[in-house]
Amino acid sequence: MASLITCPHCGTRPKEEFAIRGDAEPRRPSAGDRDEAWLGYVYTRDNRKGRIHEYWHHAGGCRRWLVVERDNLTHAVYGVTDAAQFPKAEAAE
Amino acid sequence: MTLHFLHRHVLEDHLAGFETRPNPNHVTVYRRPLILSVLAHAGQEAAVFAHLAGMPGMDVRVCGPGEWMIVSAAGSRRAEEVAEELGALGGASVIDQSDGKVLLSIGGPSVRKILAKCLAVDLHPDVFAEGQSANMLCCHVAANLARTGLEMFEITVPRSLAGSVFEELMEMGREFALTASFSGG
Repeated sequence: MASLITCPHCGTRPKEEFAIRGDAEPRRPSAGDRDEAWLGYVYTRDNRKGRIHEYWHHAGGCRRWLVVERDNLTHAVYGVTDAAQFPKAEAAE
Repeated sequence: MTLHFLHRHVLEDHLAGFETRPNPNHVTVYRRPLILSVLAHAGQEAAVFAHLAGMPGMDVRVCGPGEWMIVSAAGSRRAEEVAEELGALGGASVIDQSDGKVLLSIGGPSVRKILAKCLAVDLHPDVFAEGQSANMLCCHVAANLARTGLEMFEITVPRSLAGSVFEELMEMGREFALTASFSGG
């Protein structure tokens, strides 16, 4: 587990201040989408190895949702962004 | 057993506390501080912060993006009056937290060594400079820490957990002869 996370608002903080929600990659289907799309989004998630994007909640600090890009094999952290900025970055690609 | 005027029970200090005079490392507990939580509406952050920074007698503590706590250790103004002033500003939601938070001040030559056992945050003055403040875990409790001097910090904790934070602070400060008292004696 990555032990130090550099929050864009608070600075470098220990992992104990955060709560992890999970993969930030899946895109939420629209409300009227097919059941298969919802099944895939809710239940059949990938459990990938390597570099991943994850939602982390800075519960003990600024209480913002962050997206942490980290390697779940080497525990290296590559970047932390505020979750509000994350979908915009995706859309720009 | 002979009783004379110098008689002290062996548990005297254990019951009443070992120190009555403040040591160099000292915790001051403010009796009635004024603490208000301010949340800026979207797009109003800069205007609200500029107003808060200009308020006389009130310190601004950073809690997160667009969120602050304004603190007056002396509690010289009435909370309703301050909330009204900020409410008239528009663009910010204000709530009085004076009864819900406890304000402690800890200072002394060993303060960073004591806090190093309570916090997992780098408090070197190059990283956490005087006047800076942030929310962080202090003794496992979500607290706000502010640096008010080179060797002086102020901690704001929720009142329900203040007892536990205080006990742990004193425990960690025991090797440095940390003392505690209310402000103003």
